[in-house]
Amino acid sequence: MPLFVAGLSHRNAPVELREQLAVDEGKLRELLGDISGAGVVREAIILSTCNRVEVYAVADVPGEARAALFRQLCRHRGIETAPVEAILYTHANGEAVRHAFRVASSLDSMMIGEPQILGQVKDAFALAQSCETVGPALHTLFTQAFAVAKKVRTETEIARHAVSVSFAAVELAKKIFAGLDGKAVLLVGAGKMSELAARHLVEHGAFPIYVTNRTWARAQEMARALAGTAVPFDELATAMAAVDIVITSTGAAEPVITREMVQRIIHARRGRPLFFIDIAVPRNVEDSVDSLDDVYCYDIDDLKQVVDANIRERGREAHKAEALVDREVAKFLARLGDVEVIPTIVSLRERLEAIRSGEVKRTLARLPAATPETREAIEAMSTAIVNKILHAPITKLRESSRAGSSRSWLELVHELFGLGRK
Amino acid sequence: MHQTLLTVAIIGYVAATGLALAYLVQREELLHRLASLATLTAWVLHTVALLALSFDLGRPPLASMPEAVSVAVWVVVLLEMWIERRYGLSVLGAFVLPVALVFSLQSTPTRSLIGPTLSGAWLWVHIGLALVGIAALVLNFAGAVMYLLQERQLRTKRTGTFYYSLPALATLDRLTYRTLAVGFPFLTTGLILGVLWAGTAWGSVFTFDPLALSSYVAWAVYAATLAGRAAGSWHGRRAAYFAIVGFAVLMLTLGAGLFLPGKHGG
Repeated sequence: MPLFVAGLSHRNAPVELREQLAVDEGKLRELLGDISGAGVVREAIILSTCNRVEVYAVADVPGEARAALFRQLCRHRGIETAPVEAILYTHANGEAVRHAFRVASSLDSMMIGEPQILGQVKDAFALAQSCETVGPALHTLFTQAFAVAKKVRTETEIARHAVSVSFAAVELAKKIFAGLDGKAVLLVGAGKMSELAARHLVEHGAFPIYVTNRTWARAQEMARALAGTAVPFDELATAMAAVDIVITSTGAAEPVITREMVQRIIHARRGRPLFFIDIAVPRNVEDSVDSLDDVYCYDIDDLKQVVDANIRERGREAHKAEALVDREVAKFLARLGDVEVIPTIVSLRERLEAIRSGEVKRTLARLPAATPETREAIEAMSTAIVNKILHAPITKLRESSRAGSSRSWLELVHELFGLGRK
Repeated sequence: MHQTLLTVAIIGYVAATGLALAYLVQREELLHRLASLATLTAWVLHTVALLALSFDLGRPPLASMPEAVSVAVWVVVLLEMWIERRYGLSVLGAFVLPVALVFSLQSTPTRSLIGPTLSGAWLWVHIGLALVGIAALVLNFAGAVMYLLQERQLRTKRTGTFYYSLPALATLDRLTYRTLAVGFPFLTTGLILGVLWAGTAWGSVFTFDPLALSSYVAWAVYAATLAGRAAGSWHGRRAAYFAIVGFAVLMLTLGAGLFLPGKHGG
């Protein structure tokens, strides 16, 4: 099967080149129209994101098709072909299948496990379908790639652990409190990052939200934005006694929350854990606070460390995912061979079925006295004859395609059974 | 017959323990499934072995230390499987099965647990209740160990294997609390029946018997932990440390029953 993928991605091309080559939807349609009209390729899908520009195609002469495709692409974008040609990667057949599976599963992404890429691949597929450049081979390949991506996502933990600081804070809170339903949050100081972390906590069930700030108006504004309650800054200690999670992000040069403050409220909490997320630099929570019992305090560096560990964890899971992809590629290749011969097999079956049912109909018309049993027997016998005749050619076609020599066999079958031009 | 079955069951527990530990480190779902399967299979064999033993003996298999320990293991594994499913605690086996395994290897030559003077239904109830209590406290111990490991991960901010594989602190704290709340009444009732027996059979409640004395100490530790918890001042790390101390004393108790001469020994 002359299937190939050619392109460039964050792995081999600088961002300047990627953005020069990236194509929007309107241009993609045009391009797909051009290349299918020119008859360079039999099937084609173009995937264009900010991290990659790739063409998946089926062509009789892959090398020629590849060159033509990228010449067109560069002309559309008004850039020189030579530098692009020089860095393109090309994968053919089995390797192309693997590449498609890895890209859709987010194993080839800059951030392994990121969820957007699958949507982008699906969009590219839908677009090519609407331009009628998707044939049986790419259709099978991409539907399978979607299935593999889903499998990778559910069977490995590739996308499970947080890779942003604000999500890492949520993940830690869950490791302390189990569920976040009804856990009260106090925001000390306003800032984009603390607001984001608070929003993530709310999404996971945290409630209610209190906001405090040295500037009362700012506290009220933030409280409104988060559907929370503003608390005067001098009541910080009281508010802290009542909540489970405290996010600090004030610009203060000295710690806003001291060990003494926390120690005073800790007894009344009767063992309920208190989780400080200190996003401020310099830090708002005194260093010694986190040696207190049932108090956990993560500053921005700690959170980054968790993120780093999570990224390593994703890398570890990626090994499992790669093994899974390998197995899926092998399974798919065994089937892919069939893809090319399936249309022929289908029309062969249809042709013989048409002959059979026509003849049966004529015979039965001459036998008005035939009982239902007789009719059934005639149907069964004719079907059996057709199946027996078809068995050998179909097996041969499948074998030949697996051996990579299907083309001459396909022509032969078309000639012999008068199936019309392939 | 029961001996062979028991041996096979123990081999099953060995396999289950290995798989559960491998799962803890590798976090491969397949390992977890295999561990669960091995646990269930071994437990079913164990059940059949205990039933066969009861038929052979014509009485509950509780009259010698190895018998009693075997029944305790049976209850521990049953609880482990139930709690694992109930709470979705897939790593629980890695912490409970090793303990169960150490227990079940305690097949020292049969020594009678009860003196020749004792028999009767109340005696079986005394032993049975104490064993269920001990089984629940094995899970209490496992919960405490998991709590301390996860607590340490979160406190030192080093997110290693345990951070990923162990559940949330709140979940683990609830597990230790509940297992204590269930195990303690069983242990208490078992002990009271034992004391009553001591009063009638040995003539005195306070005779020197290592197993009895040691179990009073264990009881006191658990009673203090439970009281502290109920009062709201003991929780988390402190409760976990006490769970481990209590369990250590409990192990001494069983050790006393197995190796020291006393009224529980023949």
